[in-house]
Amino acid sequence: MKKISHNHIKYFALGLVALLLVSCERDLEDLSPARYPSNPDIFIDGFSAGLNYAAFGGSVPTAFDVDQDVTYDGTAASMKFEVPDAGDPRGAYAGGAYFTETPRDLSAYNALTFWAKASQSANIDVLGFGNDMGESGFQVTVLGMPVNTNWKKYIIPVPDPSRLSAEQGMFFYSEGPENDKGYTFWIDELKFENLGTIAHPTFKILNGETKTETSFVGVTKTIDGMRASFNLPTGVDQEVILSPAYFNFQSSDASIATVNEEGVVTVTGGPGSAEISATVGDVEADGELIVQSVGEFEAAPVPDKDPADVISLFSDAYENVPVDYYNGYWEPYQTTLSADFEVDGDHILHYTNFNFVGVQFSSPTIDASEMSHLYFDLYIPNTLPGDAQFKIELVNEGTEGSASYSRTISVSQSQQWISMDISFDDFTGLTDRSRLYQLIFVSENPNMTSFYADNIFFYNNGIAPPPPSEPNTPAPVPTVAAADVVSVFSDSYSAIAGTDLNPSWGQATVVTQIQIEGNNTLKYSGLNYQGIQLGSSQNVSAMTHLHLDFWSANSTSVMVFLISPGPVETSYTLTVPTTGWSSLDIPLSEFAPVDMGDVIQLKFEGNGDIYLDNIYFHK
Amino acid sequence: MKMKAKNTYRYFRFFVVLIIFVQLSGCKTDDFQKLDERNWELVWSDEFNDAAGRFPDEAKWTFDLGTGDNGWGNAELQSYTKNSQNVSMDGKGNLVITALRNDNSFTSARIKTQGKFSQQYGRFEARLITPYGPGMWPAFWMLGESIETVGWPQCGEIDIMELRGQEPEIINGTLHGPGYSGGNPITKHYGLTNNRFDNDYHIFAIEWDADKIDFFVDDFVYQRVKREDVPGEWVYDAPFFLLFNLAVGGNYVGFPTPETPFPQQLIIDYVRVYREAN
Repeated sequence: MKKISHNHIKYFALGLVALLLVSCERDLEDLSPARYPSNPDIFIDGFSAGLNYAAFGGSVPTAFDVDQDVTYDGTAASMKFEVPDAGDPRGAYAGGAYFTETPRDLSAYNALTFWAKASQSANIDVLGFGNDMGESGFQVTVLGMPVNTNWKKYIIPVPDPSRLSAEQGMFFYSEGPENDKGYTFWIDELKFENLGTIAHPTFKILNGETKTETSFVGVTKTIDGMRASFNLPTGVDQEVILSPAYFNFQSSDASIATVNEEGVVTVTGGPGSAEISATVGDVEADGELIVQSVGEFEAAPVPDKDPADVISLFSDAYENVPVDYYNGYWEPYQTTLSADFEVDGDHILHYTNFNFVGVQFSSPTIDASEMSHLYFDLYIPNTLPGDAQFKIELVNEGTEGSASYSRTISVSQSQQWISMDISFDDFTGLTDRSRLYQLIFVSENPNMTSFYADNIFFYNNGIAPPPPSEPNTPAPVPTVAAADVVSVFSDSYSAIAGTDLNPSWGQATVVTQIQIEGNNTLKYSGLNYQGIQLGSSQNVSAMTHLHLDFWSANSTSVMVFLISPGPVETSYTLTVPTTGWSSLDIPLSEFAPVDMGDVIQLKFEGNGDIYLDNIYFHK
Repeated sequence: MKMKAKNTYRYFRFFVVLIIFVQLSGCKTDDFQKLDERNWELVWSDEFNDAAGRFPDEAKWTFDLGTGDNGWGNAELQSYTKNSQNVSMDGKGNLVITALRNDNSFTSARIKTQGKFSQQYGRFEARLITPYGPGMWPAFWMLGESIETVGWPQCGEIDIMELRGQEPEIINGTLHGPGYSGGNPITKHYGLTNNRFDNDYHIFAIEWDADKIDFFVDDFVYQRVKREDVPGEWVYDAPFFLLFNLAVGGNYVGFPTPETPFPQQLIIDYVRVYREAN
C-alpha cells in the first residue's frame, strides 16, 4: 500500500443520495438492531448511491475518470484509470479509494466482482476493498492482478462476509507504471455478489508456518503473514492478503501469553509455553506461534566501559555507529533469520535457524586501530544438545580474507548471558583493523541453532597494544618527477640497471623482498650490516638529497652509508624504532667527503628488523 | 471417459446455461419428472467403510497401473499406482483417490471391477465429491465386458459422471459405441446453479434397461438415451463392469496449470448396483 496522506485527499461527491429500498416488508417482531443498507452495487453504469472517491497521496489526482466509450458489453459507462509514465510531475502512480459516508451491510455477499481490461497486458499492483480512508479494519488486498486487452471477470473473495455488516470501504486500487510506461485500464460492473461457485477457503497466519519463539515476560510480537485463499469458479486458487480483524486469535494459556484482536502477542508469564492460533469464522487458520517463555527477562550485564574508549555497533548503553544491517540474509547459503525483540526499551538481537550471519558497517568503515578488544554478550535460549563451536570473523576492507576467532561454548553455558571479551590479538589473520566493515558469526557445528546478542562493541582496555612486527601498509608513494630521480629501489621508478641488493660481504643480515598490498618492500632481518652494490658508478652531483622510507618495530640503531671508491664512506643515523613509515630526505652534503660524482655502493649498519622502500637520489 | 479419443471437442464454456435445471427447495423433482415406478433390489455394493489406509476390497476391485498406451489413449499425464497415498480408505467411510504432483509428473489411481463383477441392466450409482482445478478429470464409468474380445468402442462405454476440474460446476454423462465414440459420442452436461460439485456429496447414477439409459444427478434425470436414439449400433445388451479413476491432463480436459491446486481428491462414499425386482 502506498501511504495515504489525508492532506492530499480530494473528495468528490459522486451521485445523489438514493433511496435505499428494502425489498420485503418486515414484521415488527423481526426487527433486530438497525441494519445498514445492503446495496451491493458500486459501479454498474454509473456510481451507486452515497459513494465518495479520494485519490491517494502522491498519486495523479485525475487518474480516475468515467468513460462512456470503452465499456463492458456496450453498457453506458465504465471506470477508467490512467496510469502515469514514470516521472510524471502530476504523480507517481494511480491510486485511490471509493467509500461511503453511510456504512453498508455487505454480510450477504461473499465476493467483490468486476470486469476489467487494459490497453496492454499488465499486473495491477493493488486491488481490494475495506479501505475506508480511516481505520480500514476489514481490508482485503490482491497483489499483482493480471489484466490484458480483453474484458475478463475478476473475483476478490470476502474472507468472512459476516464481518462486513457495517462497511464503508467499497473498493480501492493502486497501480504504478509498467516498465516505466503508463497505460490505461478499465473496470466495469463493480459490485458485491454472493457466489456459490467459490469454494475451499483456507486461511493462514504466519504464512501458514508453525513458528517457535523463545521469549520473556514483557516481550511483544505481532503476528503477521495473514493470507486467505479461495478456489475460484475456474478451479484455480485466488490468494488475498487480509487484515488481522478477520481473525479470532486464541492463546492456549493466557498466563503465559495473551493475544489481542490486532494479533499482538504479549508474553505475560513463565516459564511455560502457549500456542497462539487463529480462526476465521469456523475455519481454523494454518500456522501458529508457539511462545516458549523463559519467564522474567534477564538483561545482559550493563557495559562498564568508558564511552570514550568504545566504538559500539549495537547497544542501548552507548551511541552506536552507523550499521548497514545486523542480518545480511546472504544468499544462497545463509539460513539465519532475525527475530529481534525489545524488553522494556532494551533491544536484543535474536538470530534463529543459525548457520552464519553477517553484521555490516561499511559506510563508513570502522578504524579500530586504537581499540584492543571486541566485546559482546551472547545468550543461547535453548539447552544445547552438545558443546557448540562458535566462530567470529572480522573483515577489514582491502585485506584478503577474514580474521577469525573460534570458541567452544559448553552445554552448561546455555540459558545465561556469556560475556564474549576477545582481544584482537586472539584473532588469527587480523593484520589490519583500520577499515573493519563486517562482523560475522558462524556456527561450526549444528548444536547452536539460535542466540541473542547485545552490547556489541569494540573497546580499548587502556593498555597500549604491542606494535605490529611488520608494516600493515606500504610506504608512501613518491611524488618526485622521474626525470629528477636516480633510483636504487622503488616500484615507482626505474632502478639503476644491474644493482645487487644483496652482495655477499660476509654479513649476517637476511635480505628478502616482501609485498605489502602489492608493493615490493625490502626487508632486512637480523641486521648487522648490509650493502647495496650499484650496477654502475653513479654521478649524483646534480642531485641534492637521498630519499628513504623506513620502518622498524624493534631496531635501536640504524645508520645509512654512501660509498665512493677508496673506499670513502660516511654514515647518517636514522631514528628508530618507528611508529609507522618514516620518510627521510637526507641532504647529500651530510655524506661529505664521499664523492658524489662517483657513488658505487650503499650500506646499512645496525640491529633488529628493518623495512626499506623508495631509496633514491633526487633534486 | 474415452478409451481412445481423438478429441475434436470445441470448448464451449457457457454452453451449459442452455440446459438449466432449477432445483427448487420444497418441490419434489417427481413433480417435474414423470418417471416409471421402479422397484430396485440391491445386488452389489461397496460402502468403503474399512479402516484408514486400507486398499479397496480385492474381492471386488482390481487396479490399472502405469501410464497405459499413450496416456490411456487420451494423452493423460498421470501414472496410476497401487500406493496408499494414491488410493485408500480415509477411515471415515470413503474411498479416496488422490492425484499428486511431483514437479512435472503426476500419480493417481484407477480401480475397476473387471473380472470380479459386471451386470447387464439395472441402477448403478455412486455418491462422491469431485476434485477441482484445471486439468483434473475424475470419472465414474463402465465398460462392456466384451472389451477383451471385440475391443473398443464395439464393447460400449457408459460414462456416468465425468468432470473437467476447470468447470467444477458441470458434469457430463456420455455413451461411446461403434460409430459414436471419441470426439463424437452421445453426451450431455448438467450444471449446478451457483454451486459446484466439489463442495459436497452428490449422487451420480444411471438407470439402464433394454430400451434406454437414463442419466441422473441427485435423482434428477438430465439425459435419456433411447435405443432408437443411438446413431450406431446399440451395444448395451451385455454385462458392463465399473471403473473409478482420477486422471490428470489429457485430451478431454487439457493440461493442469501451475495454479492447479494439488493434491486433489476424488472422495467416494459408496457405489451401489441394483437390479429391477419383479
